[in-house]
Amino acid sequence: MSKPSDLVQGTLDLLLLKILALEPLNGFAVSIRLKQVSGDVLQVSDGSLYPALHKLEQEGWIKAEWRPSENNRRAKFYSLTRLGRRHLEREAANWSRLSAAISHVVKLEEA
Amino acid sequence: MRFEQWLYAIPLRFRSLFRRDAVENELDDELQFHLERKTQHYVTAGLSPEDARRHAVRDMEGMELRKEQCRDARRVNRFEDFIKDLRFSLRTLRKSPGFTAAAVLTLALGIGANAAIFSVVNAVLLRSLPYPDSNRILTLSSRDSLPDVEDIQKRTQSFAAIGGITSQALDFTGEGEPVQIFAGLCNAEFFGALGIQPALGRPFSVAEDSYGGPALVLLTHGFWTRHFGGDSAIVGRTIRLSGNSYTVIGVLPREFWLPGRPVDVLVSLRVVNPGAGKFRGVHFLRTYFRLKTGISLAQAGAEMKSMDRWLEENYPEENRDFHRRLLPLRDSIIGDVRPELLVLSAAVGLVLLIACVNFASLQLARSATRRHEIAIRSALGAPSGRLIRQMLTESVLLSFLGGAAGLVLAAVGVRLLMALKPSGLPRIADTSIDTRVLGFTFAVSLLTGIVFGMVPAFNAALVGTRLKENSRTTAGGGSGFRIRKILVIAEFALALVLLIGAGLMIRSFTLMHRVDPGFRADSVLTMRVELPEARYREFPQQRQFHRQLLESFNSIPGAQAGMISELPMSGDYITHNFVIEGRPPLTPGSEPEVQTRTIAGDYFRVMGIPLLTGRDFGVQDRTGSQHVAIVNRSFVAQYFPGQDALGARVEWARSDPPDWMTIVGVVGDVKHFGPDQPEEPAVYDLYSQTAQQWKRWMYVTLHSNTSAGSLLAEAKQRLWAIDNQLPLTQVSTMNEVLAASLDRQRFNLTLLGIFASVAFALAMVGIYGVMSYAITQRTNEIGIRVALGAQRKDILRLILVQGARLAFLGGTLGVASSLLLTRYMSHLLFAVGPRDPQTFVAIPFALFAVGLLACYVPARRAMHVDPIVALRYE
Repeated sequence: MSKPSDLVQGTLDLLLLKILALEPLNGFAVSIRLKQVSGDVLQVSDGSLYPALHKLEQEGWIKAEWRPSENNRRAKFYSLTRLGRRHLEREAANWSRLSAAISHVVKLEEA
Repeated sequence: MRFEQWLYAIPLRFRSLFRRDAVENELDDELQFHLERKTQHYVTAGLSPEDARRHAVRDMEGMELRKEQCRDARRVNRFEDFIKDLRFSLRTLRKSPGFTAAAVLTLALGIGANAAIFSVVNAVLLRSLPYPDSNRILTLSSRDSLPDVEDIQKRTQSFAAIGGITSQALDFTGEGEPVQIFAGLCNAEFFGALGIQPALGRPFSVAEDSYGGPALVLLTHGFWTRHFGGDSAIVGRTIRLSGNSYTVIGVLPREFWLPGRPVDVLVSLRVVNPGAGKFRGVHFLRTYFRLKTGISLAQAGAEMKSMDRWLEENYPEENRDFHRRLLPLRDSIIGDVRPELLVLSAAVGLVLLIACVNFASLQLARSATRRHEIAIRSALGAPSGRLIRQMLTESVLLSFLGGAAGLVLAAVGVRLLMALKPSGLPRIADTSIDTRVLGFTFAVSLLTGIVFGMVPAFNAALVGTRLKENSRTTAGGGSGFRIRKILVIAEFALALVLLIGAGLMIRSFTLMHRVDPGFRADSVLTMRVELPEARYREFPQQRQFHRQLLESFNSIPGAQAGMISELPMSGDYITHNFVIEGRPPLTPGSEPEVQTRTIAGDYFRVMGIPLLTGRDFGVQDRTGSQHVAIVNRSFVAQYFPGQDALGARVEWARSDPPDWMTIVGVVGDVKHFGPDQPEEPAVYDLYSQTAQQWKRWMYVTLHSNTSAGSLLAEAKQRLWAIDNQLPLTQVSTMNEVLAASLDRQRFNLTLLGIFASVAFALAMVGIYGVMSYAITQRTNEIGIRVALGAQRKDILRLILVQGARLAFLGGTLGVASSLLLTRYMSHLLFAVGPRDPQTFVAIPFALFAVGLLACYVPARRAMHVDPIVALRYE
């Protein structure tokens, strides 16, 4: 199980953006969802989550609004902006290229 | 960040700045929400509510830290931190009012003095002249005559307009007493040359500025408000000046200003003074040349040089060896004032430096007592960059407070400067605190706060990291103390430079004051009378007036009266070319020039000017009798060296018909131009014998042992008994006239003296502070010494030696710097060299002595240190 702290900040951003692209969520739900969809492999620590989310908000990739959640408690829900969507596509493409290259190198036959 | 990103970011940042509480609450809510959900999650996983909560909290790994990180992500930290620092600084400053007051006062003195001087420099040197495109206006270095100017107008191409002006006294008989006013007699192009647009009406045209042309006048704003109450229907009305009616055709704008003597009205030169066009040799016009666009000063100068040559060839008598020098108007106005103001600026800069050094020293002292606080903050995690920033903020805040207080001081200071009446500083009358001055003060405050806050800030931050210092007294006190010692030495040196400068000025001034002006200044009253042309056009009328006046004044019991055409120290003078009978003839135009004065009555006796040989003028010298003259000693020395001048004959060059005067007496020299100016050869002739009808003015001098007030009242009465339409001007005693000639020197001296005093006080406070601190630091050590048997006087010696060393180093540095720097003020000094040994010995000694005294006071405290208390106190 890879520890979330091994993830480079940029990768964390990519993951958070993608999760929010699927559906607007509050911070807690984002961390649960990430754990779910990655089969428990990727977990973001509670401490790193919110600074990352706030940074993404400052960059203009995501926007936030307060909505009532279950049991009428209001929570801050994040969703992707148009800019964020474009950024996500770019970063996802970069990631594919990068990971393909890494896989390729790692799979090389040793002599 | 790309542009579109900012569209999202800016509203967020605004909100973070201005709705900080709301944003903080939201952050709290968000994290609380997360905690609750996490707790719930653990509870469903089977933990007890308390355990669940604990796990949830631990998962967050430090709420406050995360909150801070979120705040960092919001990127308003810089600004928020600054606000926080500001508030914190305000609080700490309020808690130590003594320090704050001292720091602010020190800076207020330094910055305020600088702002005041800068205001003056701005008004006099930096401001552009109040004319449009003023850097294209040139003037000649000496005055010229109307025929010459007319020729220059006709024969040159470089100038869009050439204006000429002279001033003349006229009597304005509006209401009540006749008032003498000054009229500017100018040509029509004068308005174009300077670019003057009347606020009301129009200037006179070239056609109107002609011989026999209409009598038109333009009023200045001041004259218009004073005498006509700003009546807007003034255009078209007539006023009477010296017996003639003039039609008002315009009013000049309020900002109108002319270099030289201020005028009240403007009239046409050719209309009012038709004789002006006839005398090519009388150079009385100030000239203003406006360059055509595209023409440079060099081109105009070259053209003027060829004009010189043409005029010399065609009119050799008046123009031989008369070289016209074109220079920018600005330079001619401020030319000789610039070095003086620069010296004053440098001096006040030194004061600021001393104030800043004191400021830094105060802060260092204070930071030493805050070591604990800083150490704790450092241990709590404040990065040293943050600490430094906070201390710099405090420093800048202090310096801004000092700057604000300084501005107030400057405003007061400028008023005081004006009250000193510095004559000869052009345009100083409207010195104000304007935007440039504000900007300057702001910049200086900022710079001071940053630069001189840097040293204590760094010092504090570095020291603070050493938490292990739990004792407040260490021997010597560490690097902060060393820096303070260096600062005190610097202060001493700077103060010494200023004191020596002031000392030189004082000596210079006293020497100038003691100069024998050549006449008696006590108990002599003087006033200026100008006879209007309308009623005194001819000689007989003028001479009758002179006779009547002198008779009347001489009959005042105990009084003696005399007259002269140009009073010493008045700045007025006339010269003539002259020839001595029997000497080889000289080419016309190259005859020597001599100062000439016309007198009447007992002038020499009234003024106490000694008669050296021969005789004074007497009753036998009158109209129709042999023409006589009296010369001064310099004249004899220059033109009759080793010979007897009595009986020789002189006349003005090219007099037609010849008008020889016989020299009948030699009098002592008079310092006509000022106590520091050389004496010049002079010839005195008589009003009753002169052929110069246009000399209708005179300075009447009255000597009496009665009080000036009653003498004046009596004199006025008698004058007006003869002619009640004559205005009196420039009434004063000769003492006042003499004092006025020293005005400029006095001004410089006063300023420099103030700066030096401030510097001195600051330096003394500085050394006192450092020595006090040193003693506090060494209380332990002193206690030990006393316990080991040291006597009180040994302790005293110990402290004094330490202080003396500082003072001596500072003094040496100061003397060395002074030796290098005072040469730049040598032109301000009179009869005193910039390395005058008396000053250079006396002042350092005095400073050293007082410095020791300043150390003595805290030293006495050291002497009475109780060893037991000292050793116990840790």
